[in-house]
Amino acid sequence: MASTAEKPVSGSSGVEPRDSQPPPRSNPWRRPWALEGFTWLYILWSIVPIAIAVLFSFNKGASQATWQGFSTKWYVGSQVTSVLHNPSLHHAVIQTLILGGLTTLICVPIGVGFAIGIDRWRTRTASGLNFVLIFSFVIPELLLAVALFLLVTQALTFIHLGTPAEVAGLVVWNLSWPAIIVRARLISIGRSYEEAAADLGASRLGAIRRVLLPMLMPAIFASAVLVFASTVDDFVIVEQLSSTANTQPMSVLIYSNVHGGLSGPALNALATIMLLISLIVAVIGFVAYRWLTRGERTEGGTEALTGIAGI
Amino acid sequence: MSGGNVKLESLTKRFDEVAAVDDISLEIQAGEFFSLLGPSGCGKTTTLRMVAGFEPPSTGKILLDGDDVAKLPPNRRDVNTVFQSYALFPFLTVAENVAFGMKYKSVPKAQLKTRVAEALEMVQLSGYEQRRPNQLSGGQQQRVALARALVLRPSVLLLDEPLGALDAKLRRALQVELAALQKQVGITFLYVTHDQEEALTMSDRLAVMNHGKVAQLGTPEDVYNEPADAYVADFLGVSNLMDARVKPGGQSTGCCRLQMGEFTLEANAGELNATGAVKLAIRPERINVEPYETVGANRVPGMVERLVFLGSTTHVYVRLATGSTLQTLVRNDGAELPYGQGTAVSVSIPADALRVLPDPGVSVGEIHDETTGEELLDLSGTRSA
Repeated sequence: MASTAEKPVSGSSGVEPRDSQPPPRSNPWRRPWALEGFTWLYILWSIVPIAIAVLFSFNKGASQATWQGFSTKWYVGSQVTSVLHNPSLHHAVIQTLILGGLTTLICVPIGVGFAIGIDRWRTRTASGLNFVLIFSFVIPELLLAVALFLLVTQALTFIHLGTPAEVAGLVVWNLSWPAIIVRARLISIGRSYEEAAADLGASRLGAIRRVLLPMLMPAIFASAVLVFASTVDDFVIVEQLSSTANTQPMSVLIYSNVHGGLSGPALNALATIMLLISLIVAVIGFVAYRWLTRGERTEGGTEALTGIAGI
Repeated sequence: MSGGNVKLESLTKRFDEVAAVDDISLEIQAGEFFSLLGPSGCGKTTTLRMVAGFEPPSTGKILLDGDDVAKLPPNRRDVNTVFQSYALFPFLTVAENVAFGMKYKSVPKAQLKTRVAEALEMVQLSGYEQRRPNQLSGGQQQRVALARALVLRPSVLLLDEPLGALDAKLRRALQVELAALQKQVGITFLYVTHDQEEALTMSDRLAVMNHGKVAQLGTPEDVYNEPADAYVADFLGVSNLMDARVKPGGQSTGCCRLQMGEFTLEANAGELNATGAVKLAIRPERINVEPYETVGANRVPGMVERLVFLGSTTHVYVRLATGSTLQTLVRNDGAELPYGQGTAVSVSIPADALRVLPDPGVSVGEIHDETTGEELLDLSGTRSA
């Protein structure tokens, strides 16, 4: 009896003497100190370098290593080397935004159509295309970039290097995002809503327009955010397919100037802007996704989708 | 409502050579409440989906008021469906959901509002117009689904286990309402269910389905009181099934003499001209439990095996001297039962309640395993093979 009296009944009191529960290893509710510590180490490891890079974009001096006081000269102040006033720097920002916008606008509708086609058409063609979709995930980006370079310089010469080729390449590379995310949503939605729409008198196109598209909106939006963010981050494809300095987005400019040329905190400022764009898009995506799926919290599938989207 | 006559002619649906619906022919009269009843996998939902237009039949015709609609898409058939999952559009309000199909009916704007309001009033959901489906309970969602289909005034309404997801009490209440609503609107209802109580209480006629075929077609009274075979007897409520043999020369007009173990029984119902091995069916409520050694015809001695108190009734399980167990139903009228577990009793089986059914060639236990799924576990668990 004495031994049972010593054991605290779970939930009976807030102050449970955890350590006194022998043996501690077998207690499944013990706090996972080791795992937690390791997780925090990992987070620090990945955030600290970024934080330092961001910090030095506000350096007063031209050093990327010694702190010389706070200033915003690398963003707006300097007439020569600030992002605002240096043509090649602010051109890179604009080029990144153009590529992101165009790629999203072209890629998402194609991807949505692709997903609907693969999932709602039950044919051999559809299953073949599904394979192609997965294939684009495993193919190395560099391989695709070089292949696209050869394609547009040798065969499809009407697609000029520069913005057209960059957009074409980014669309191909990012097509899997909307296709896979929208397809996941299509599967979780099921066919019953389209059947209900058809039953109430809608044609197949009508059912897609009036029922399926509104229900796919969260997924479409999530994939648009991902495509945009991934385009902002992209380097390999745009590096291969850009032509003049005018068509270099931020990633390419940073890479080509890191060892010489326009080095210094201005590059940090550019990188910070790039980071900020990605962050803003991610936040917009998260908030809008929550808003679009409000009232769906209990339904399975959507939470998983948030997980896939990483937002 | 004009029209609403549905005629299925040799309707067959094969999925990869497995016939889900196997050569069904039946006619549903205009304005009738008709049920397809059967366990899961019997082909009832596939039949309904073919009438709705979601599945093309492999062969056969679906005549809607004389026109074959088998090849038409769902949006060009004058039928509407209430889905088991409701399938209400979550991004639209209740009113918008109900008005969804009106867009294709060329109804003037002014009328549209009144008709939506009328439909919602019919299902007692006035005032819920601006709610979203996820703000409604399951029963309310079901009513919206009903209103959304009825507002289009189809000639036939198809209902696919519409009460399946609701709790027992709500289901009972909605059964009564649904049947009353059908009489009020006069639209043909084709109702699919695996719940025999639903089918019996609401239908004008019903078809009991088994393995893609119609096992029996008739009014609820017909199929309950005069089941065509052991499968139907078993599926429609608890039925005691026993193995017996017809005595040589035992057939006579209006009566059949049978040998069950060492006992002789007379039966006045069912296949009275049968010979050889047969099944005997009797409903629990028709059996009388009497004191041991009560004399008279059609009595078999046994022992009370188990008593299950159910409130208004008590189920008494009696193991007969022949080895089989009978479930009987005794009304609780306040008096204490004169027997308990282990008491020897005599079981009286009235000849007019004892039905002779053709032997399906399998033992009673196998009928269960083969034809009734887990949905009927509660029944199969209470009876011995």
